[in-house]
Amino acid sequence: MENILPEPLTKKLGDRLRGVVGDAWVIADADRLLAYESDGLTAYRKTPLAVVLPRDTDEVSRVMGILAEEDVPVVPRGAGTGLSGGALANGDAVIVGTARMTDMLELDPDNRLARVQPGMINADLTKAAEPYGLYYAPDPSSQSACTLGGNVAENSGGPHCLKYGVTSRYVTGLTVVTPEGKIIELGGFGREPGGYDLLGLFVGSEGCFGIATEIEVRLLPKPEGVKTLLAIFDRLGDAGAAVTEIMAEGLLPAALEIIDGPTIRAVEASVFAAGFPTDAEAALVIEFDGIEAGLASDVERAVVQCRAAGAREVRIADSEEERLALWRGRKKAFGAMGQIGNDLMVQDGTVPRSKLTEVLARISEIGVRHDLTIANVFHAGDGNLHPNLIFDRSDADELRRVELASTEIMAVCVEAGGTITGEHGVGLDKRRYMSLVHTPDELDAMRDVKAVFDPRGRMNPGKVLPDLPDSAGAAV
Amino acid sequence: MNSLAGMLTDRLSAAQVVDGIEAERWAVCGRIPQAVVFPESEEQVAEILSLSSEEGWQCIPGGKGGWLHGGQPPQGVDVVVSAERMNEISAYEPADMFIEAQAGAELEVLERRTLECSQWIALDPPGGERGTLGAMVAVGAAGPLEAGFGSPRDQVLGATLVTGDGRVLGLGGRVVKNVAGFDLLKLVTGSWGTLGMITSVTMRVHPVPATDRSLLFKGRDPAEAAALACRLAQAPLSLAAVELLVPGDAESGANASSPLVAVRILESVDGADEAERLVSERAGIEPFQRLEGEQSAAIFENVRAMEDGAELVLRLSLLPSRLPELVEMTSRLSGLYDPTEGWGMRLAGHAQTGVLRVMIAKMTHSTDGLDQARVVLGVLRRSLEAEGGSLVVSQGPPEIVGALGAWGDSGPVAPFNAGIRAAFDPASILAQGRLPQ
Repeated sequence: MENILPEPLTKKLGDRLRGVVGDAWVIADADRLLAYESDGLTAYRKTPLAVVLPRDTDEVSRVMGILAEEDVPVVPRGAGTGLSGGALANGDAVIVGTARMTDMLELDPDNRLARVQPGMINADLTKAAEPYGLYYAPDPSSQSACTLGGNVAENSGGPHCLKYGVTSRYVTGLTVVTPEGKIIELGGFGREPGGYDLLGLFVGSEGCFGIATEIEVRLLPKPEGVKTLLAIFDRLGDAGAAVTEIMAEGLLPAALEIIDGPTIRAVEASVFAAGFPTDAEAALVIEFDGIEAGLASDVERAVVQCRAAGAREVRIADSEEERLALWRGRKKAFGAMGQIGNDLMVQDGTVPRSKLTEVLARISEIGVRHDLTIANVFHAGDGNLHPNLIFDRSDADELRRVELASTEIMAVCVEAGGTITGEHGVGLDKRRYMSLVHTPDELDAMRDVKAVFDPRGRMNPGKVLPDLPDSAGAAV
Repeated sequence: MNSLAGMLTDRLSAAQVVDGIEAERWAVCGRIPQAVVFPESEEQVAEILSLSSEEGWQCIPGGKGGWLHGGQPPQGVDVVVSAERMNEISAYEPADMFIEAQAGAELEVLERRTLECSQWIALDPPGGERGTLGAMVAVGAAGPLEAGFGSPRDQVLGATLVTGDGRVLGLGGRVVKNVAGFDLLKLVTGSWGTLGMITSVTMRVHPVPATDRSLLFKGRDPAEAAALACRLAQAPLSLAAVELLVPGDAESGANASSPLVAVRILESVDGADEAERLVSERAGIEPFQRLEGEQSAAIFENVRAMEDGAELVLRLSLLPSRLPELVEMTSRLSGLYDPTEGWGMRLAGHAQTGVLRVMIAKMTHSTDGLDQARVVLGVLRRSLEAEGGSLVVSQGPPEIVGALGAWGDSGPVAPFNAGIRAAFDPASILAQGRLPQ
């Protein structure tokens, strides 16, 4: 994959690409390419050969056709908010970005469907659907910035997928441009095509199979009522136990989120302060939604479980304003971490819910042993953990300890019956952990399936799958 | 004993292989296998499939055989590999909301086990409770509850698959959120045995809702009922199921089985009352019947049994708002059957997903009759496809399904389907022809 085009973008290739998208939309000068050298995982950086910004399916198809003819690797990119290095331009790749593909193509309230371009921001879709009493359910914490195309690539989750499920449940159809520039349709609501669920396979394929250029999604009717609670605990383990008890009670909250002590203090010291008590060791945010009349009894039962698990205080948000403040505290927690450290490694792993308390204790022990601050903010209801390792990039030894601790945390998640990523994807960062959860045969099966779509290995090279044991050097 | 059965017996045991007359009830779309084999472990499945790959035997993975007559006829049927004797529940963790069982476990057994902890698997595929977990996942079967809870693709957390050449692959896991690598599990769900034999499945379970209530609304005729079903499907709340039910020609009449719409509400106690109020308001009429608890579940159990005894089962699809058009199109099928034979033609429409199931008890079997059926169904399929919909012949006489194919053409994605199949089944021994190219 190395040195396919040793010179920075040949004139011939540049001219051909500009011929499709126009001069303004091929970025090839070093200064402007800086903005594309990493995604949300800033520990890895690589400057792309060029960035191309097409406007629609047809332009993507022509761009991809040219890049195929020239045998240039391609890395798709949405807003670049991903946290696993998935949008990093490995192997002198050209980035094909969706920044200009932001249109709503069709909104069909009767059938609760929307067809959008992949560069549309997640939150903008809900905004557009709101007048019809509808919304788009998957809500990653970055929803005000991340794109729906990126959500498709990562099969994104979010706090509310405890009740509503992840992106793959909502994507009903895709227009995809293959690595060779061919346009294909996958799925489609209102039809039952025969053959394999290629749509389901494509969602979460991290840009390794092609580029989605149109996305059809299912919308949901906005719940009649929402009730949000905040329970404060003096021990993190107690908050974990409350989560288990709430679920065992047969309740199905829309969201169950835990913010630990270090995160609370970071949030409260930031502009996103939500009124969490700074001496607490855990805040549990519980949300119920649905038919208004049914919510009161759910809330009551959840309060009982929280108190039984040792909550020192349970607050119910009385107004929409209070509710939004609680959520701001949760969703902006990553941003607030800047208060306690220069750099942040956001980890992502899933464990069976009943193992939460045990796994959190082990993560805390790992932090102590490696002398690192670990702040936890996570989707407790799904068992989806986000330990945040705080470090300073300029401290080489600290960086080394972050790597060691990350590896140990992954191993703990897998040992508990969980997995190495719940929603951020494998990307570049987690390839080295793939063999913790997959046998060589399983990895080979994934390689075979990728080769069906991308026989020359040009799509998002060096992502998701680890290098074969006999090839030289892993990427990290 | 034939030589194929003999070779399998040598590898396993005489008690695990049947042939001849005993193999007859395992016919696949009318074709009787040379042998039926009952492995008792993943390793035995791998051994059978490896041997079949070497010998070039065409294998059809199955459970208890309930789906073998349906779908598209395979090119060859040498061996049926039944998961019937692999039926253990291997793990059930109520707190983690999953149940894991071998592929041959009956849905009924899983249902009983989960109910002990006030949980359930929220799927109601046709064929009822005696079907197996593996078969449901292999054919991706869902029923009215798909609207509220999703189909198997949304609820299967993990599976073990033995590929055509005997590799054992663990796919997915035990947790809901899992993006560690490409989602091969999606490929396997609904793959009709063409990628391998599923030997175990991990399913998501849900808490049993406090209230199970069905509201039944009557329509004067199918058209009126279909319009009502559409209206209710667009009600501003999430309903577990909205099903249009049109009884067979011979079933309507004396016992007042006119077309109806069944709305299923699964909510908390207070929530159910409010949902009922919203639904009735939307309907503009009062329900003629209101069923609670077991009775509510029972009416939807009946929906699962609607395909029983049908010779032809079709699935017509368009966007949900066009359900009335689908119902109207069924008038084109009137020449295909004699309404006085059996119960005639039944309809069941999933109003939130836009799928109308058409069940015909007995088709007109003269040569002319079958020719006519092929033409009529072919034309209907083309007109639905032109509108962005589809027609699936999920069950029918081999002369019909063989000629039309259960599904339409895969079009430009066909090479991808073929490539995937070759990756999992390099010797091409698994259910060849069961899915479109």
